[in-house]
Amino acid sequence: MNALDYAVLILTMLGIASYGMWRTRGRRDLSGYLRGSGEAGWLAIGLSVMATQASAITFLSTPGQGYESGLGFVQNYFGAPLALIIVAAVFLPLYRRLKVYTAYEYLGHRFDGKTRLLGAGLFLVQRGLGAGITIYAPAIVLSTVMGWSLDATIVCSGLLVVVYTVAGGSDAVTLTQKYQIGVIFAGMLAAFCVLLSRLPAGLTFPDALSLAGGYHKLEAVDLSLSADRRYTLWSGLLGGMFLALSYFGTDQSQVQRYIGASSLRESRLGLMFNAVFKIPMQFFILLLGVLIFVFYRFELPPVYFNQAAWADQAEHGAGGRLRALDSEFAAAHAEERGQLLAWIGARRAGDRAAEGAAREAASAAHDREVAAREGTVAIMAASDRRTANDSDYVFITFILKYLPHGLIGLLVTAFFAAALSSKAAELNALGSTTTVDIYRHIVRRDAGDAHYVAASKLFTALWGLVAIGFALFAHLAENLIQAVNILGSIFYGVVLGLFLVAFFLRRIGGTAVFWAAIAAQALVFILYFSLGISYLWYNVIGCAACVALSALLEAAMGFQGRSGATPAAA
Amino acid sequence: MKPPADDAPTGLPGMRTWSRVYVVVACTTVAWIGLLALLTRAFP
Repeated sequence: MNALDYAVLILTMLGIASYGMWRTRGRRDLSGYLRGSGEAGWLAIGLSVMATQASAITFLSTPGQGYESGLGFVQNYFGAPLALIIVAAVFLPLYRRLKVYTAYEYLGHRFDGKTRLLGAGLFLVQRGLGAGITIYAPAIVLSTVMGWSLDATIVCSGLLVVVYTVAGGSDAVTLTQKYQIGVIFAGMLAAFCVLLSRLPAGLTFPDALSLAGGYHKLEAVDLSLSADRRYTLWSGLLGGMFLALSYFGTDQSQVQRYIGASSLRESRLGLMFNAVFKIPMQFFILLLGVLIFVFYRFELPPVYFNQAAWADQAEHGAGGRLRALDSEFAAAHAEERGQLLAWIGARRAGDRAAEGAAREAASAAHDREVAAREGTVAIMAASDRRTANDSDYVFITFILKYLPHGLIGLLVTAFFAAALSSKAAELNALGSTTTVDIYRHIVRRDAGDAHYVAASKLFTALWGLVAIGFALFAHLAENLIQAVNILGSIFYGVVLGLFLVAFFLRRIGGTAVFWAAIAAQALVFILYFSLGISYLWYNVIGCAACVALSALLEAAMGFQGRSGATPAAA
Repeated sequence: MKPPADDAPTGLPGMRTWSRVYVVVACTTVAWIGLLALLTRAFP
């Protein structure tokens, strides 16, 4: 990064944050601070919902997923539009009619105080842990490739978001997200255009797709019924729908975004905007990764994308073995590249036989390349370093090496914008839930608005510091975006179960659903540590267990009540 | 606690009720999945 890139980064980030604080200065009432001023239109709501979900991890890590595994991850989002329809039709009208500040307040209206606390508690635990990851994830990748201090990156980005979220509340979050998502889209589009322009001469876009298909990178829909496969059409539709229903319908970081619209219509249209554009957006980001894979068939990629970690190991650890693997990788890549150029020539000439032979030879060379990379990854994984999955470094490595200055600054700004936008929504939600569902509900019930606004600011700042602290001591092993989804899937199913019972099973009371939720959460923990199924299924299992156990407990309590009542009556 | 009546106008051309909006969004989702399945088959 040069001075121009740093200027783009610093001016854009500080500019958006300052604008958000200036526009929302002087908000004193609790409703304005937690729900917003009620002026937001559908586009602002839609972009805010999108920006909350699409964190820096989405933009850093998803292209890496596309590079390594192709388009299959898009299936994770197949259930999201259906979930958003249910949220818009059922959840949203109730939240707005009851004028709740948090989703868990609704549980208090429907059941009782302890069930409300349980819902809020599960959210705080899950989101509090996730908040650390959303700061840590981009920081580890960006600090490694930029040579910045990891701790300084975590603290600076964390404090910036804490300052404007505390100062401006919900409106500042919505307002800044609108501009942040604009920066993100501009950056991703610029990267896509540069990538297309840098594909080798003679390789058309359909050629690039055909080449990617030959490496099994375009398998977007998997009809397999196996529960062990992480992403299939069925796990995406069913598990993905439960995950999205829980996330969009019951996670306060999302609920807070859409209940603040000027009307029910604006909230609904904002959700429908996401329902329509969620799948194509994820597809586009994954396709970017697939095209980077195609690009690197003609340009030598590093054998290990986290080059700082590789250089460190090469110097201090298994240096000889790493360098030998690097040489094997480069030789295999040169052969693959030659064969692919021959493949393009044969394709132009319409020589089917030569086309097939070149493709086969390229594939064999690629297998040797993959073996060398896997050997390197195994050595690196054995090293005891604080690092993320290597695929998380694919996109940023491409950006730094092949994008012009100015655009590098724009893309790095986009990553920070994404980090801050989702982080701000999380902190806002954590602060609101702690204030409304814990502090106002248990500690102090009768204070004025100014007191609760001050308390909310304090809790938001405290959660910000907790997230920064967690990020400073975090150690991650999985691909970052998967780590966030896995964590969510462990808790979301049960929380969704609580809400589904509340909405649809009118006869079930607070005591039955409370104990059923605790038992269902324990079951999910046990299954997670003992089964090897796709994490998306835990959303279904947790939800189904909570609903079924609630019904059973209610029936048992009713039976006990009746049998206990008989002798007395007699 | 039933949701309020769903009769507020959508303000969208050709989709006067919310049920119609939801059907259109669901059909769009099916179309996206269909296109992705086609892509999978077109470049095996």
